[in-house]
Amino acid sequence: MRRDFTRFFTPGSFGWLIAQDLRLSLRRLQGMFGALKPRTASLILLAALIAFHGLAWPVAHWLGEDGDQRLFYPSLAAGVLFVLFWLVSQSLTGATRALYTRGDLDLLLASPLPPTHILGARAIAIAAEAMGAVAILVLPIANMNVLVNGWRWLTIYPTLLAGGLFATAIGIALALALIRLFGPRRTRVVSQVVATCVGAAFVLSLQVLNLFPEETRENIIAAIERSEPGLFNRHGLLWLPVRAAAGDLQALIFWFALAVGLFALTCLIMGRAFTTSAVQSAGLGAARTKPRAIRFRAQRGRILRHKEWRLIARDPWLLSQLLLQVIYTLPVALIIWRSLGTQSAAAVSVAPAIVVIASQLSASLAWITISSEDAPEFLASAPVTRAEIEWRKLEAVALPLGLFLALPLIGLAFVSPSAALWAVVFAICAASSTALLNLWHPMPGRRAMVMRRHSQSKLIGMMEHLLSLLWAVAMVLTGLGSVFACLPIGLALAVLWFNRPSRATA
Amino acid sequence: MTGPADHFSTIPAAVSLRGLTKRFGDRIAVGGLDLTVRAGELYALLGPNGAGKTTTLRMVAGLLPADEGTIEVFGIDARRDPIAAKRITAWLPDEPMLYDKLDPLEYLEFVAGLWSVAPEIAEERAVALLHTLGLWEHRFERCESFSRGMKQKVALAGALIHDPNLLMLDEPLTGLDAAIARQVKDLLMERVRAGAAIVLTTHILDVAERLADRIGIIHDGRLIAEGTLAELRQLAGQNHSTLEDVFLELTGQGPAGQGPAAQPTAIDA
Repeated sequence: MRRDFTRFFTPGSFGWLIAQDLRLSLRRLQGMFGALKPRTASLILLAALIAFHGLAWPVAHWLGEDGDQRLFYPSLAAGVLFVLFWLVSQSLTGATRALYTRGDLDLLLASPLPPTHILGARAIAIAAEAMGAVAILVLPIANMNVLVNGWRWLTIYPTLLAGGLFATAIGIALALALIRLFGPRRTRVVSQVVATCVGAAFVLSLQVLNLFPEETRENIIAAIERSEPGLFNRHGLLWLPVRAAAGDLQALIFWFALAVGLFALTCLIMGRAFTTSAVQSAGLGAARTKPRAIRFRAQRGRILRHKEWRLIARDPWLLSQLLLQVIYTLPVALIIWRSLGTQSAAAVSVAPAIVVIASQLSASLAWITISSEDAPEFLASAPVTRAEIEWRKLEAVALPLGLFLALPLIGLAFVSPSAALWAVVFAICAASSTALLNLWHPMPGRRAMVMRRHSQSKLIGMMEHLLSLLWAVAMVLTGLGSVFACLPIGLALAVLWFNRPSRATA
Repeated sequence: MTGPADHFSTIPAAVSLRGLTKRFGDRIAVGGLDLTVRAGELYALLGPNGAGKTTTLRMVAGLLPADEGTIEVFGIDARRDPIAAKRITAWLPDEPMLYDKLDPLEYLEFVAGLWSVAPEIAEERAVALLHTLGLWEHRFERCESFSRGMKQKVALAGALIHDPNLLMLDEPLTGLDAAIARQVKDLLMERVRAGAAIVLTTHILDVAERLADRIGIIHDGRLIAEGTLAELRQLAGQNHSTLEDVFLELTGQGPAGQGPAAQPTAIDA
């Protein structure tokens, strides 16, 4: 028995390959904590886990006898769907990275290892990473439910494991289908955008559902309850993971078998397609710009701005990430607007949302142009002052920001011109302050890190969010005609004052 | 008998460093460096890894503040008026600094714009440089797909498009294939003949041996020897040896190495 076990991990074996890929995943996880020591990173993780357990406590009570039992299954289904969407999004990102990241994959492809082993091991690592990202939020809910509502909630653990395998199978199949559909050159970006949209889709659809009147929502729930036995009925196949998470052992066994079967089948069938696609992605030719006559421009400021716009416009993934900030914010505003129901409510719902979007987008764009500059030394060697370069970069931020905000501002102007006017004023203030913060405290990093840029300086990240919040609150109070609007404005200016460069460098 | 070193001593200085010093904490990266490079001269700065070559070039390029000393570029005090000095200087680091999402033409337009080169002149130069460096066929391809050698060529074209009087090149031939390396060498010699000064660092001693008018050997942030190849041979007491032998001897890494020369030795000084 022991001999069989050690043979499983002999060099070149499937087990050995899995161990190798899991080790690389662990290194990637450690890399996310930057220069932090493993002990400090573990302490941070532990603190986060404790905090999430605290937050999960009321959720557990709500799911138990304290809550509305009529909403138990719809709520649990929403939670399970959210997790599955999230897992698929993570797996698709992982599968794309596995296909396009060279390094050790070239070595594996050149080795005599069978393609199914290579894909199998990599798929397990992808599943582990996806589950790891989700587990930190899901498992505290499971643990608190065990404490409050009984042992049956432990089934969330195997349900999540099965969910990880199921989602990874879908993620890999999706990545390979995208390569077949769009070709290896476009797939990288398309898949990143699809992964982001899949992740956001469920959150957005929930928000859309929230926009329906109460009666319509009740009808949807009732229709599901009344539906004939089959896919959509609560006892049907689509509800398997939900019933498994709720402690139904039979459903759990079916769900687990289904997930493991799909995962194994994907690795067996798609092994060769995976290696072929990986080889294709390695042999990509050059991306070309549009052939044109050679006509150089003269103005330095124009050239500097154009360079920034070109770099942003030619990075569709970056644009998708920026758009997501807008997508995530707008539904919240719509819900507030709907709940308040009057036109004047636009000033306290949509207008602050525009202010938040302005500040967040401005911060992201300022970080991209200033901190994520590809050739900072080259610019420093040019006969241009640093101040001029920075000013041009901030100018370059203004145009895409204006384009992003124009449509909601125009829409708001039709509903409430005064709210639109105040929104413009506060959006400019918010955008300028977060851009200045990024200018004064650059955090160098690659463009792909735009959404994780605050990992370098949590303090600056907090300041950025604080400024967004303060300007949004100022907008709400102004919309309500309150003189207390001066308070958040004063606080925002104070935050900027305390973060000014002279103090930072002192 | 007058050697090349004597010839250059009569020409105005393109770069003049006096007592240039840079410290990183307790470590002295460059210690009181005195160096003069004349217009129309190709000067090779050699030294082991960590000797202070790149630090010196970065200080002249205005990328690193010097702690002490003076830097003059064609008579301009580069520490006092860095913008004026940068206007006539080009800096090419060992790792090409490009924008991956731009094509070579867009990159050259950007560089020409930064150095305020008139568009019609810049267009003409861009076409000539792209042809010379074998980049013309790739002018509409984004730099992200280029090999290191190709990127190096684009960066070199960028360094030359504003026709600088002083070129500082850190390992300019790294990653280039033999044919392009030859073209680059010819291009550099052409610039030198046109009156530009070139300071280059290289680990390919053959390049220094063939191209450089004078060679400076830097060790532990100090210039330990300087002169033509013949003069360095004489200094090392190895009249028929290669530059490699001389370099290893002077830096104390040769078979009979006793550590680097104790005193700075500038033959033409």
